[in-house]
Amino acid sequence: MTLQDIVPGQTCIIKAIRTNNLRKRIIDMGLIIGTQVYVKKTAPLGDPVEIIVRGYSLTLRKAEARTILVERLDTE
Amino acid sequence: MNIALIGNPNAGKTTLFNQLTGSNQSVGNWPGVTVEKKSGKLKSDKIEANIIDLPGIYSLSTISLEEEIASSYVMDRKMDLIINIVDASNLERNLFLTYQLLDSNIPMVVALNGMDIIQRNEEHIDYQSLSKALDLPVIPISASKKIGIDDLIKAIEVFDFSKERKLIQYNEMVESYIKVFDNYIKDRFLSIRFFEDGLVALDHAKVSEKDQPILIELYNKSKEELELDIDMVLPDARYQQIINLIHQIYKKNDLIKETTTDKIDKILTHKYMGLPIFIGIMFSVFFLAFGPLGTWITDQFVWLIDEFFALIIRLVDNLGMSPYVSSLITRGIFGGLAAVVGFLPQLMILFFALAILEDSGYMSRAAFIMDRALRKFGLSGKSFIPMLIGFGCSVPAITATRTLDKDEDRKITSMIIPFVSCGAKAPIYGVFAGALFARGSYIVVFSMYLLGLLVAILSAILFKKLFFKSASANYIMELPQYRKPTIRNTWLHTWDRSKDFLIKAGTILLAAFIIIWFLSYFGLVDGKLQLLTDDQIGQSFLGYIGKALLPLFTPIGFNDWPQTVAILSGFVAKESVVGTLGILYGSTGDVVENGSALYPAIRANFTAIQAYSFMAFSLLAIPCIAAVSALKRELKSTKWFIFTLVYEMLVAYLVALLIFQIGSLPSGTIFTILFTSTIVIFVLLMVRKFIRQKGSACGSCDGCSSSSACGLPQFKEFKENIDKEKSKDEN
Repeated sequence: MTLQDIVPGQTCIIKAIRTNNLRKRIIDMGLIIGTQVYVKKTAPLGDPVEIIVRGYSLTLRKAEARTILVERLDTE
Repeated sequence: MNIALIGNPNAGKTTLFNQLTGSNQSVGNWPGVTVEKKSGKLKSDKIEANIIDLPGIYSLSTISLEEEIASSYVMDRKMDLIINIVDASNLERNLFLTYQLLDSNIPMVVALNGMDIIQRNEEHIDYQSLSKALDLPVIPISASKKIGIDDLIKAIEVFDFSKERKLIQYNEMVESYIKVFDNYIKDRFLSIRFFEDGLVALDHAKVSEKDQPILIELYNKSKEELELDIDMVLPDARYQQIINLIHQIYKKNDLIKETTTDKIDKILTHKYMGLPIFIGIMFSVFFLAFGPLGTWITDQFVWLIDEFFALIIRLVDNLGMSPYVSSLITRGIFGGLAAVVGFLPQLMILFFALAILEDSGYMSRAAFIMDRALRKFGLSGKSFIPMLIGFGCSVPAITATRTLDKDEDRKITSMIIPFVSCGAKAPIYGVFAGALFARGSYIVVFSMYLLGLLVAILSAILFKKLFFKSASANYIMELPQYRKPTIRNTWLHTWDRSKDFLIKAGTILLAAFIIIWFLSYFGLVDGKLQLLTDDQIGQSFLGYIGKALLPLFTPIGFNDWPQTVAILSGFVAKESVVGTLGILYGSTGDVVENGSALYPAIRANFTAIQAYSFMAFSLLAIPCIAAVSALKRELKSTKWFIFTLVYEMLVAYLVALLIFQIGSLPSGTIFTILFTSTIVIFVLLMVRKFIRQKGSACGSCDGCSSSSACGLPQFKEFKENIDKEKSKDEN
């Protein structure tokens, strides 16, 4: 599944990053294979999404979220 | 000695810069405030040092133009010392850059900012252990509360440049690759950059031409060998070290589940309330500045200025100087200035409101909320910030486009910013709306802002469709924590922009007023150059120019040469449009009616529809000289630059023409046209929707309208990969 499929309130772990044009930026912002990501909310118009990664809040579009493969973590 | 200030965007660099140098740069709470480097002298009586405030970066591998400035600065080792400012409340990501910087052997001091917040949350960071682990001085500070600044200055003064810092060592596997690259690059720092960024890093290295292909081959070989994607190997190794380190030094307060930012965001970016609140905030800003309150303050202020100027004019008249001098002072200088300076209070309210939005951190939320809407026009939510600044002044707004990630985004955004109505255009609406639309005045003003936005958006779509077909603006952005805007900082912001306005009024505008005064009060009467009286203005030089150009402007509703001349003067600076009308209609010293000296003259010379066409033309025509030169600087291409100017001129003329021609029709006809066009648009939309639905059979993506990259082959391949992966996951 991809980061886009994660419902707000769920946590997941990154498995692969297939983004092409923003790849470098995504990695530098701390999204690497094995990183834990919490999906916080989507914007009022339904896109972009806000995620919590490494203790801070990052927003990215679903188009990019779609290119990040993840595995859901079932916490609690 | 050169000291560079480097850190993540929004880590507090500019605030620290102000503390270290004693200067007054304005600060905002959105990533990317510093778009150009600034420098100042360190406040120290022991050493001479230059502090350079560089744009914020997340990493040395950069994608946007302004980041490039900062990162090249490091790669070329242009400084003697780095002050790395680290945001203590966002340690993990901030230390990533610190570690990248530590790969070089440039002397460095870490300023750990925001320690007051850490304390307030009852958390603890052991900065002494951090200092030991990194082998460099770590100074805890709070730039906004001015804590620890003296310690930081002292640490710089006593810095031991002779000591070699021990470099960060990665695991054996990573180190072996670095060594392989270093055999050819001969510089550990740049070898690491090469490992991380690939070929780009070689721009800064001195690698012989025969070694280059060898390096590329080595890089490709490593790519095959490595288990992880090659560009992730170093970041991964680095983050692992950072997490271990943070474990040892950072005692977190687990009791805090929900921060203040979370609570505020629950409302401000709420699914349903977020958008109405956003629109409400924007509307209140304009209501505050141009509604009853703003108008009332302006009226009082104008009354004061008029009294003051009338006093001076009486004095000048009593001195019995030559008629030239007294005419220059009373009509040229004060006539123009009175009209312009009078709008200062309204502008200050606007600037003040924008400053609060910036400082609090709401601007980033605005970008987050607006991204989806702006994407349709080929822009990103990030373009929203420069556009919003454009409401204040186009010049910093055009400069701020550098924070955008892609060249196409930068071009489109800077080309449309002049349509966003800047603060200097506000006096034009102020005077016309006040004189002719009395009760609905702020609705008229608001409609001007909407018109500007509408033209900007339509132009963006046009540019994208015509010139930047493949462009799809990028968006990835950090949401900073909310901050309470400090009085000092908000005031600094407001003052900075108001000062620009006042300085312009005192310099460029003043010169323009004097020139206009000369052209309008001198003329050839019976072949002799002479000072004209008020009723002879038609014979002045300006009168001739205005009359010559008038036929060109008749179709858009101008019926009087002073109107033409006022529009021309707007190319010098938009503020002078009103001032010029003031001089030409000779209204100075008139009885102040309804607060503004110009109202009677406007009422006598404009009908409502003429005024509206006039305002629209001033709004959309080529911006002032300052903005034009900013455009030239940012577009970096004469072709685009000239295109933009011609385009803006044509659009302004066309829109004003439409407004005047349609507006002059009898009201029955207007309603007929409105009704017919609404029906036609509705039918067209429905037909389009119908065609869309039939054509959207290209798989699981949500139609080509939302994803412009859908048709690109590489993207299809991408999607296939992901789909494969997806089905694997599901099995």
